[in-house]
Amino acid sequence: MTDATRDDGYRILRTRGLTMRFGGVTAVDNVDFDLRDGELRCLLGPNGAGKSTFFKCLTGQLVPSEGQVLLKEQPVTGLNTHEIVNMGVGIKTQVPNVFDGITVYENVRLSARRKHTARIARDVAEATIEKCGIRHLIRREVGQLAHGQRQLVELAMVLAASPDLILLDEPAAGMTGDERDRLAQLVLEAARTAAVIVVEHDMQFIRQIARFVTVFNRGAIFREAMIDDIMRDRAVQEIYLGKQADAAA
Amino acid sequence: MDYAIVVALEMVRAVAWLVLLAAGLAIIFGMMRVINFAHGEFLMLGGYTVVVSTGAGVNEWVAILLLAPLVVGLFGVVVERLVIRQLYGRMLDSLLATWGLSMLMIGGVTLIFGNTVQGVATPFGGVRIGTYQMPIYNFVLIFFAAAILLAVWAVLKFTRAGLIARATMQNPNMAETLGIRTTLVYMATFGIGSAVTGLAGGLLAPVTGVVPAMGASLVGQSFITVITGGAAVITGTLSSATILGTISQGTTFWAGPVYGDAALLVVALILLRILPQGITGRIFKRAL
Amino acid sequence: MEKSLTRDPGFWIMVSIGLALMILGPILIDMFTIMQITQYVVLSVFALSLAYIWGFGGILSFGQAAFFGLGAYTFAVSSIGMGDTTVPLLLSFAVPAAFGVALGYFMFYGKLSDVYLGVVTMVVTLIFWKLANHTAGPEYSIAGVRLGGFNGIPSIPTINIPGQPDAWLDPAQLFRFFMAVLVIVYVALRILIASDFGRISIGIRENEVRASLLGYDIRRHKVIVFAIGSGIAGLSGAMWATYQSFIDPNAFSMEMSAKALIWVMAGGVGTLLGPILGVIGLQWLTLQMGMVDFLNSLVVLGAIMMVLVLALPKGLVPTFKSLAVAGWTLWRRGRGVGGRVKKVASDD
Repeated sequence: MTDATRDDGYRILRTRGLTMRFGGVTAVDNVDFDLRDGELRCLLGPNGAGKSTFFKCLTGQLVPSEGQVLLKEQPVTGLNTHEIVNMGVGIKTQVPNVFDGITVYENVRLSARRKHTARIARDVAEATIEKCGIRHLIRREVGQLAHGQRQLVELAMVLAASPDLILLDEPAAGMTGDERDRLAQLVLEAARTAAVIVVEHDMQFIRQIARFVTVFNRGAIFREAMIDDIMRDRAVQEIYLGKQADAAA
Repeated sequence: MDYAIVVALEMVRAVAWLVLLAAGLAIIFGMMRVINFAHGEFLMLGGYTVVVSTGAGVNEWVAILLLAPLVVGLFGVVVERLVIRQLYGRMLDSLLATWGLSMLMIGGVTLIFGNTVQGVATPFGGVRIGTYQMPIYNFVLIFFAAAILLAVWAVLKFTRAGLIARATMQNPNMAETLGIRTTLVYMATFGIGSAVTGLAGGLLAPVTGVVPAMGASLVGQSFITVITGGAAVITGTLSSATILGTISQGTTFWAGPVYGDAALLVVALILLRILPQGITGRIFKRAL
Repeated sequence: MEKSLTRDPGFWIMVSIGLALMILGPILIDMFTIMQITQYVVLSVFALSLAYIWGFGGILSFGQAAFFGLGAYTFAVSSIGMGDTTVPLLLSFAVPAAFGVALGYFMFYGKLSDVYLGVVTMVVTLIFWKLANHTAGPEYSIAGVRLGGFNGIPSIPTINIPGQPDAWLDPAQLFRFFMAVLVIVYVALRILIASDFGRISIGIRENEVRASLLGYDIRRHKVIVFAIGSGIAGLSGAMWATYQSFIDPNAFSMEMSAKALIWVMAGGVGTLLGPILGVIGLQWLTLQMGMVDFLNSLVVLGAIMMVLVLALPKGLVPTFKSLAVAGWTLWRRGRGVGGRVKKVASDD
């Protein structure tokens, strides 16, 4: 558990006072978020709690209105997406962002190629595809795949770049039971070599992977605690988990 | 002193000129995010309406102020129905299609009227400012540029149609769910935008002369003004026309008219580098 | 997609046809026809410039004529000034490419939307056209070569053998040289598209957000693609100038940009062969239409463009291809062989 490990003070990710406003709406409100190297963190919160916007601020897709993002203790606020990504961040977005017109293999290879030579990229791509269980789809065009399969392709793209920090926005959406189990294994495995943040609504999936959890509400951090405590927290249930927790129990 | 007045007036005229060239295009772009590549030919059509109708004995002012907007406005409605609507949501395709239309119109008008310049008499004479002479018609252009902007503002601000237009501008899907027929709004928008362009074409005809390919020498300025201004029709057009008009006129004074347009483009590119959605994309976001 | 270029039979067929035409053309075909075909060859290079940036970089430029004209004028001025055509030919690639970098910087680093990009590229062309038309006076001359305004620049030299300014190519040699350029540009583009750089371009075309989330700098990438396209367009402009031995501001005309768009649209976006067929088809059509008195070329071009957008958005060649594939599948089904509709190959 994270709390048991010795703290050397290093944080792979920190945000300080991170705020994102759109016109009159504050989507992310003064968020101080810390993530240790190698930690697996789940991000919960109702729709519109600001989780996806938070991710976009982390990756430079949005420039925050206020506050700081520190990646590996380096300030990255205002850098371009590709510059942040090249510091070792991999992100799976909420709506799968894949290259529709080209094959699964080429999708994953293009990701691996960013970091590796052509020869190694080929091997990395094949291995990652194998690992994600989409070997049988390798020659298919991504645009023709089902939603859950596209999710796995995007995950393979994220993993192929072997990032140090992985951001997964609703990775289990649209997946079948088997696909979801595989996904849980993959996430746990990835968390052995990288820090991972997962945004997810699927409580069964969360139970499979979650340890320490951050709950967002109205753009701000509402609670940070171990998953079991979160599940018992009445206030959290009220804002979000209520029905789903009952249903899952 | 006289010279300063003349320079100042020339600057205002340059701004008015850009407003006239851009207003109709800006209305369409602001509402529909469609750029009509045949805009120059819509101007040309306004010009020819004046040429033909004055040739047939119609009073020149009736031709400019009534017939030109009417003819081009109706033409716009037809184009919206037959072309623009088919390509709704396919922005680049609508650029390509209106470009095709532009060539078709130049070619067609050349076939009918020949490739010669048709003059239109410039109403009024000149006015003396000290030792300088200035056409009174310049003031007419300035007046109508202001009038068009004022009219668009009043319609948007005070009428029900303007309210619907603003709603559609802000959020087309929401407007649709509120029971507004956006197709009708778009048709009306394109018609009105075209009518304003027709009026501008009629007003400019006495200055530029009328020739089938006249669009090509005018649209550059129209396009730059609109994309530099951004989506807000009035603030956008006025702010970019002011900046660009002043600079291009300044360059013209300093280096001659050839470089005026080029200066305009360079300034526009620099502005767009800083403000990719035009002036009103970031500043004056909520403006009309 | 990951099929390697050297194992693609289509590629070798294309190259063989090109080389065969280059070598055998002047032997088998009469000189007048060869000179006509030379024109098609030049325009094909121009078509490839847009086919590449639009089809394989996702950049729809409405102003390829700006680079075509820039290349033509660069060649005209420098070849008259230098008396030798080798360096001018290189300049006609380099100068437009450099201008493409500058313009691309403003457009792509400014993250302009597609519509703005279209408008800006079009306006740039218009302004070049206007500027070129206003250079009639003697004060507008570069290195002693007058730009001539709307009268253009006459007496542009024919290509000569490098280092021998008096050894001009005869029409057959010029044809062969231009065919060689066409084949080289085609092969170079195919190699580029098959390379990792080219695949990333395709990725950017498919999904810019994902490309940048993988860590690729899409702005820089697009500037490079745009500049390569600009250079090729410039080169074709130089070929045009030397072929006609004359150039005027119409090289910068909207009609020229529109033609390039029509070739690519007709041939299909996302192929290199299609646009070349587009050149041949459209030039042939304009030739036929030229015999009809009551039409002019603008009416024809405008009508074709509108029909292509409204009725055949995928282009003639891909539409024909998928029809053929569908027909073939239907026929096989009818014979009980079965089989899925294969995806029409998009890279020929």
